[in-house]
Amino acid sequence: MPQLCFYLHLHQPRRLKKMNVFDVGVHSSYYESEPNDGNRIIFQKVAQKSYLPMLRLLRDLTAWHPEFKVSFSITGVFLEQAEVYQPEVISLLQEIMATGQAEILGETYYHSLAALYSEAEFRIQVQKHRQIIQRFFGVTPRVFRNTELIYSNHIASLVEKMPFEGVLTEAVDRYLHGRPKTKLYHSYTPKRLPLLLKNAELSDDIAFRFSDKNWSEHPLTVEKYLHWVEIYPEDHLVNLFMDFETFGEHQWEDTGIFFFWGKFVEEFLKKNWNKFVTPSEVVAALPSHAELWAEHPCYDVPELISWADVDRDITAWRDNPLQFDTLDKLYQLEENITATNDISLIDDWRNLQTSDHFYYMCTKWSADGDVHSYFSPYEDPYEAYRRFSVVLADLEERLME
Amino acid sequence: MFSSDDAVFMIGWEYPPHNSGGLGVACQGITESLSEMGTQIFFTLPHGNVVPLRHMQVLNCSDASWFTNSNPSNQPPFFAYSSSSPVPHRFYAGKFDQTRLHLLPESELEEKVGQYADLVATEGKKHEREYRIIHAHDWMSFPAARKLAQATGKPYVAHVHSTEMDRIPDGNGSQYIINTELEGMSHATRVIAVSYYTKQLLVHTYGIDPAKIDVVHNGITPLVYPPDTGRHHFAPKRPVIVFMGRLTVQKGAEYFLHLARAVLQKIPSALFIVAGSGDMYHQLLLETADQKLSAHVLFSGFVRDKQRETLLDRADVFVMPSISEPFGLVALEAAQRHTPVIVSKNAGVSEVLPSAIQTDFWDIQKMTNEIVRMVAKPTAYQQVVTGQLNDISQATWSAASAKIKEVYQKVLLNY
Repeated sequence: MPQLCFYLHLHQPRRLKKMNVFDVGVHSSYYESEPNDGNRIIFQKVAQKSYLPMLRLLRDLTAWHPEFKVSFSITGVFLEQAEVYQPEVISLLQEIMATGQAEILGETYYHSLAALYSEAEFRIQVQKHRQIIQRFFGVTPRVFRNTELIYSNHIASLVEKMPFEGVLTEAVDRYLHGRPKTKLYHSYTPKRLPLLLKNAELSDDIAFRFSDKNWSEHPLTVEKYLHWVEIYPEDHLVNLFMDFETFGEHQWEDTGIFFFWGKFVEEFLKKNWNKFVTPSEVVAALPSHAELWAEHPCYDVPELISWADVDRDITAWRDNPLQFDTLDKLYQLEENITATNDISLIDDWRNLQTSDHFYYMCTKWSADGDVHSYFSPYEDPYEAYRRFSVVLADLEERLME
Repeated sequence: MFSSDDAVFMIGWEYPPHNSGGLGVACQGITESLSEMGTQIFFTLPHGNVVPLRHMQVLNCSDASWFTNSNPSNQPPFFAYSSSSPVPHRFYAGKFDQTRLHLLPESELEEKVGQYADLVATEGKKHEREYRIIHAHDWMSFPAARKLAQATGKPYVAHVHSTEMDRIPDGNGSQYIINTELEGMSHATRVIAVSYYTKQLLVHTYGIDPAKIDVVHNGITPLVYPPDTGRHHFAPKRPVIVFMGRLTVQKGAEYFLHLARAVLQKIPSALFIVAGSGDMYHQLLLETADQKLSAHVLFSGFVRDKQRETLLDRADVFVMPSISEPFGLVALEAAQRHTPVIVSKNAGVSEVLPSAIQTDFWDIQKMTNEIVRMVAKPTAYQQVVTGQLNDISQATWSAASAKIKEVYQKVLLNY
């Protein structure tokens, strides 16, 4: 009978077109154009399979169950593309937000790694994200989730200055030291931000294992899952954090994923001691400061963590020389780019910060490599690097007088 | 005597537009000019995939079984010069097993070369009365030449455009190929080397009698349209330095990266372009990033036709840092397109391009200074360009063909 926090992440990068050296300094767009705009094609495909059916289900669930709550993180680049490629995605989100049963979290507009490189740039992107959320939904995010739940003490210290009232991140046992992830923690920072930690087992049961026939628990029934969730006592918090595309895209409709979730919500709420919460509800229910310190343990994270791969670190984005050097080069341009006040140049530079570009350059192998190649639009990490390097050269050319 | 209307039976391997490198281009230049001089030419290929040619009779000496599947290694050209699989291999496990890549296509190639010899000998025997001399281009054709020479009693010339010792300079090349080259040259009546550089390699490494070797430099076909020089093509605000060639140890692409690093210290805006593909591609990308050269060294992949011309037109300097290069036609193309060339002394083309800047492939400092000089001093730049154009005016295919005919004379005199 724990509290259940259900949060979905919505993001689509702007994938680069097949840039070549001949595109440097000739005002080429970095993206494909119609009639074969690959970004539109992907967005609409995912919208048909996932965004639209799942948003309709969520809308219906909020209508049928006033106690159902859901939270979203929606990147700026996602909203920009949704507005052009599939506006119905936005209107459905607006409908759900209008019920008051949903919350939108703060993050960087560009789904970037700016927090790792530039505090100024990080603040600008979070601010820009606030503005677009305000514009589309009329709300201001109160709780923060960084790109891919990347987190450290240092990032928490940046976030608490912005300010936000809490942060979502991953539960990593090398910093939890065996303590339960179903408790609320506070950050190792002066203001002691409340931290909601992802429940990887229960989240991944749905996100990754739901349709895996080799999984000993397959098929996952509502009864079974309900049992696993209800094992926790009432002062515990089960955080189900996952990609929105889990519903319909990673797990296709024919796996029964939509039915599963609808039925689960119904069964869960049949017992009136079960409760859905949003992150800011969790934070708002907290006692005052001194008590918080006394009652909630500290989650001390000196190194960067994330929700990705088996190691829950950032090596999916920053591990090999291809990734290190392109990231360094990109952020070295910050001062010169921002000084131009050239809106389109700055926007291009910021779109290149989208973490997916570096994810595509990942050369890690083993099981994670499969997940990576599933998500990459390019034939291999080297092609991702080659294109990115050409675009960087073009940015530099545009900076030259 | 080889009279002006005598015929030659040439054994080829590739021909434009189905060529993987310089061999096909050289065969085109040689046959076109020989034909203009009245020589009749039979020309064999291991495929029938040729646009109709008027200057010679092309004989398809292929086996239908070679083309049964769509594997690129079964399509012409057969990548006889590539030390790696031509099939773009998928990234796997972050490891590059070069020995495996090297061996796999080779056994297939060996088999094909053997079958080709039989097919050529049969075809050549049919035309026995129509030619006096056999002329074979590179090792893939040597077994065929030997077989046909035995069958007909006619002499053959072994024309060496490239050797395994160039392609794999550390000496760990294919023993089969080295043996084929050696036997092909040993049994030939005469050997043609594309440069003095190659001649000394044939003498010192393969032990061929120097008196048996004639040097015939390649030529270059004059441009039909003048080059479109200038910086307007792309990257108009910065000097562009171009490398073009297969990405193998032989071509010295690694030295190009060292050079880029050194030049960027002096010209921070310089842009370096690596054009080509090859088994070092991934390694070079990683090294570029590791040396913090991303966005300053760009990779274009393999370029042909218009893109190739555009790159050479746009280049402010063309660099060929080859470790071992029998000739290096692309340096002539760059010179022809008014681009200053920095060429390794270990490249045969340097012998016909005395006005180009000649350096050791490892001499990064000299190359750096020369690039800085070319970029900073328009007069020096123009001086090199003009000198090179003057050099090229001598480097014609008809000059090459005239020398080849002299070789034919020697062959028939001694035979």
